[in-house]
Amino acid sequence: MTPSPTDARPQQKGLPIRVRQVSKTYGRAVALDQVDLDVQSGEFLTLLGPSGSGKTTLLMVLAGFVRPNQGSLHFGERDVLRLAPHKRGVGMVFQSYALFPHLTVAENIAFPLKLRRVPRPEAMRRVEAVLDLVQLPDFGGRGVDALSGGQRQRVALARAIVFEPGILLMDEPLSALDKQLRERMQIELRALHDRLGITTVCVTHDQREALTMSNRIAVIDRGSIIQLGTPKEIYDRPSTRFVADFIGESTFLPVTGSGGTFRLGAQALKLEGYTPPPGANLLMLRPERLALLPEGAPGPDPRYNVITGRVTDIVYQGESVLVQIRLDDGGTVAARVSSARAALGAVPVPGASARLAFAPEDMNLLCGEAG
Amino acid sequence: MKALAAEGPNATELGRDARSERWMLFGLSLPALLLVGLVVVLPIAWLFLLSFQTEGGAFTLANYQRLIDQPSYRRILAMTFEISLTVTAMCIVLGYALAYLLAQLPRRVAGVLMLGVLMPFWTSILVRTYAWLVLLQRDGLINVIGEHLGFWQKPLALVYNMEGTVVGLVHIMLPFMVLPLYNSMRAIDRDYVRGAANLGAGPIQVFWHVYLPLSRPGLFAGGTITFILCLGSYVTPAVLGGGKIVMAANGIAGDVELYFSWGPASAFGVVLLVITLTILFTASRFARLDRIFGGGA
Amino acid sequence: MRRRELLGGSIAALAMPAIITGARRAEAADENQLTIVSWGGSYQDAQSKAEFEPAAKALGITVKQQTYSGLAELRLRVKSGAGGWDVVSSGSGTAARAGKEGLLEKLDYSVIDAKSLISGTAQPYYIGNDVFSTVVGWSTKTFGKNGPQNWVDFWDVRKFPGSRAYRNNAMLEPALMADGVPMHEVYKVLSTEAGLKRAIDKMKQLKPHIAVWWSSGAQSAQLMKDGAVDMIAAWNGRLDAANKDGAACAYTYEQGLLDTDCFVIPKGTKKRDLAMRFIAEISKPKYQADLTKYITYGPTNEKAYDLTSIISPAYAAQLPSSPANTAKQLLIDDAWYMKYYQKAQAAYQDMITG
Ligand SMILES: Nc1ncnc2c1ncn2[C@@H]1O[C@H](COP(=O)(O)OP(=O)(O)OP(=O)(O)O)[C@@H](O)[C@H]1O
Ligand SMILES: [Mg+2]
Repeated sequence: MTPSPTDARPQQKGLPIRVRQVSKTYGRAVALDQVDLDVQSGEFLTLLGPSGSGKTTLLMVLAGFVRPNQGSLHFGERDVLRLAPHKRGVGMVFQSYALFPHLTVAENIAFPLKLRRVPRPEAMRRVEAVLDLVQLPDFGGRGVDALSGGQRQRVALARAIVFEPGILLMDEPLSALDKQLRERMQIELRALHDRLGITTVCVTHDQREALTMSNRIAVIDRGSIIQLGTPKEIYDRPSTRFVADFIGESTFLPVTGSGGTFRLGAQALKLEGYTPPPGANLLMLRPERLALLPEGAPGPDPRYNVITGRVTDIVYQGESVLVQIRLDDGGTVAARVSSARAALGAVPVPGASARLAFAPEDMNLLCGEAG
Repeated sequence: MKALAAEGPNATELGRDARSERWMLFGLSLPALLLVGLVVVLPIAWLFLLSFQTEGGAFTLANYQRLIDQPSYRRILAMTFEISLTVTAMCIVLGYALAYLLAQLPRRVAGVLMLGVLMPFWTSILVRTYAWLVLLQRDGLINVIGEHLGFWQKPLALVYNMEGTVVGLVHIMLPFMVLPLYNSMRAIDRDYVRGAANLGAGPIQVFWHVYLPLSRPGLFAGGTITFILCLGSYVTPAVLGGGKIVMAANGIAGDVELYFSWGPASAFGVVLLVITLTILFTASRFARLDRIFGGGA
Repeated sequence: MRRRELLGGSIAALAMPAIITGARRAEAADENQLTIVSWGGSYQDAQSKAEFEPAAKALGITVKQQTYSGLAELRLRVKSGAGGWDVVSSGSGTAARAGKEGLLEKLDYSVIDAKSLISGTAQPYYIGNDVFSTVVGWSTKTFGKNGPQNWVDFWDVRKFPGSRAYRNNAMLEPALMADGVPMHEVYKVLSTEAGLKRAIDKMKQLKPHIAVWWSSGAQSAQLMKDGAVDMIAAWNGRLDAANKDGAACAYTYEQGLLDTDCFVIPKGTKKRDLAMRFIAEISKPKYQADLTKYITYGPTNEKAYDLTSIISPAYAAQLPSSPANTAKQLLIDDAWYMKYYQKAQAAYQDMITG
């Protein structure tokens, strides 16, 4: 219908996905609990959650391999809920890649084209084009056993997009790769997505991967979507303690108060420009958003909150140093100091007193249990 | 290459280690090699030798000449291969369906049903063959029921012929087909099937393009075992074939009885062996097993 | 037969050496024990009860009984020098061949009294012990009393429609008799190339009506018991046994093939003299008469018929070797078997598979 995927511009708009009220139970176990989800056309959305949270199940519902107990599912205007998997026209990269061992790389990639009766010369041309796209030219004749993990992943991807589906699904596509390759592939995948514009749903339980690749992230826990937002929203404004815990490092301190004023111990928090949710009782702080004020330094911007304590531990972590501080008002927080600043003497010794500053927009007040 | 190996630090010592390791490995496998030689190679060599000997031990080609002159040997060979191929083909059809069914079931259920498939292994071939006789003969159960229900008026000739022999052999051989097939089907990752469906393959296409090729090792193993075992059948054709069905083993046994020396029977055995090996060799070329077992070379 | 069935496959021949080693160990038995080898089944049971056990008692020795599958096994044992067998029960044709092959000890007729034996049954290498007959048998369910009365009838598929069973080893005499050759000329005709062809051609005629070619006596009895065929050429004793077992069949001695079971002493025995005395003992009328109590095979020792307390005249009339029955039958010619059997069997095999 459109030119081959090698064309740089995202000509083909992916299909939007609409999920409503989808539930799936296995006996007593609830794998999906009334899930609602909208994926925009051409969006890269990541499903992020701990093991067993229902990510794969949701993806399999989209692909048609798991029949939900209830709900509705639309790709664009089309109701696909009861459509057989082979009629849905979605591309999928399996966690195991599922490359057919009895076929060569080229035969694997040509498989969906053969099923669609694409004429041979045309199919060969498209296989070559897509192999170029995933940067595996001249690999067509190889057996799939003769490929490295990263190469397999790319072949699987090539096979999933060669028939130009409107939707691409990926189940932990990078989990089998080592860290370096994984990070490179994350960037490659993202670039590829930008070029093709396929609506993409990707499953991962690696938060960094989710942050790197996605337009939006849906955080799933126990079969429900807890929060849906851009990586920045999810990171900066996690809606629950679970999300905050799951993504990035954080310290939680109990706060008291109501009606717009909150206290950390005896100290009132300055909230300028930030409206906390009603009933919030926890203060979440990211270590890298805490400024450790050098001794005797002038006070920071008056908007900032300042808390004091004593250094209990210093952990060297390569690119940064993590400083543990016991607060005078009780509780412990961690602050991250970049290695560059640490070298300039910004780190106090254990036992020294310390002052920490943070802007109102860098804090987060949540409802939840302390602990 | 050579120059490099000789020059680097410790190259000589490491080379020596590698060599001694190879010798050690050879030494360790020597008993097994000897055993294989003793159990497999020696008897075949002996068979070969005997086939060229007269009763007195002199060299002769008469044993092979007889195979050419006497038409019954050709017919026995033809019948042996015809029956073996028929039985193998039927086992493939039945065994594939059965193994497929079992492979789709939960493992626990499949395990129990598999016991049923294997049950015949615990009864002797003789007993099973006679059981078929009881079912198939003129006054046997099937004829009695068939006539009673009016399906046919005169008893059908179900046994003491090719058909009866094939039925009996299929029953005996089926487990040998089902077991390797079932194993190779179980080894097919569900993701392959899902992957194919996802790429647009309907159930029939999934089966044809993915499931069948991936179960081919089992198919080939089962087919080979069935075929070879069939070639050596003795009891079943003897009992269910009514003397009209003479397979190779029956012919060989007859020759052992009839002639003063082992020569005639040995020559027949050698010919059977050679034809069988040729068939297997050809078949394995067609099966493209290298593709399935990987090793991209 | 059973034994051979276990050895199936092209390696049957190769499995044989196992027997040799087994036999060597068995040899260490004491001097007063003889190893007697026969065919097993109801036949050996009868031999054991009527002959082996009582004779051993009379001689003050013990016997150990074994079974075997045929000439091939005997040949292997003797040729390999395994020994261990002292007295072997065998068909007369087989015994004649074995004697010619040099597998057997010559019998010592100064020890064995063969004067009252049916003429021709005491030979240099073997001595007849009982007489059986290959007869025309039929199912009384199919034909009542009026079954086929000779080989001509057996071949007449119009008069006697139905399925037949016949032996799967060459048995050509009936074919010639069915083709009109008088009984006393059968072997003369069969000894010529043309006669052999004539017999085979006659077999081909009947072949479409032969449902089963039986390979063992037990199988032939089973066929009648199962009602698998309507007519059979089988050994008379097996048919009687089948009737005892619930079969409904009858047979006639008319044109029957009279054959003897014999005893031989294989070469390599260490107890030749004792074996000779044992054979002398069981050749006596009393033992042979007793045998008829267990199986309808007749004695070779004609004096056995004098023991009317054991063999009543009425019963004697049912036995194949009674003078009245002998007259109706053709005595198997061992010399013909020795000379032509291999050739006949090859042609027979071609006929069956053709
Ligand atoms: N076939 C099944 N039968 C029974 N329970 C199942 C089945 N498949 C999934 N579940 C259950 O449903 C829940 C969700 O499983 P799912 O595979 O979707 O988790 P996930 O988020 O993909 O986990 P992971 O990150 O470990 O892959 C789990 O509790 C799991 O045990
Ligand atoms: Mg999963």
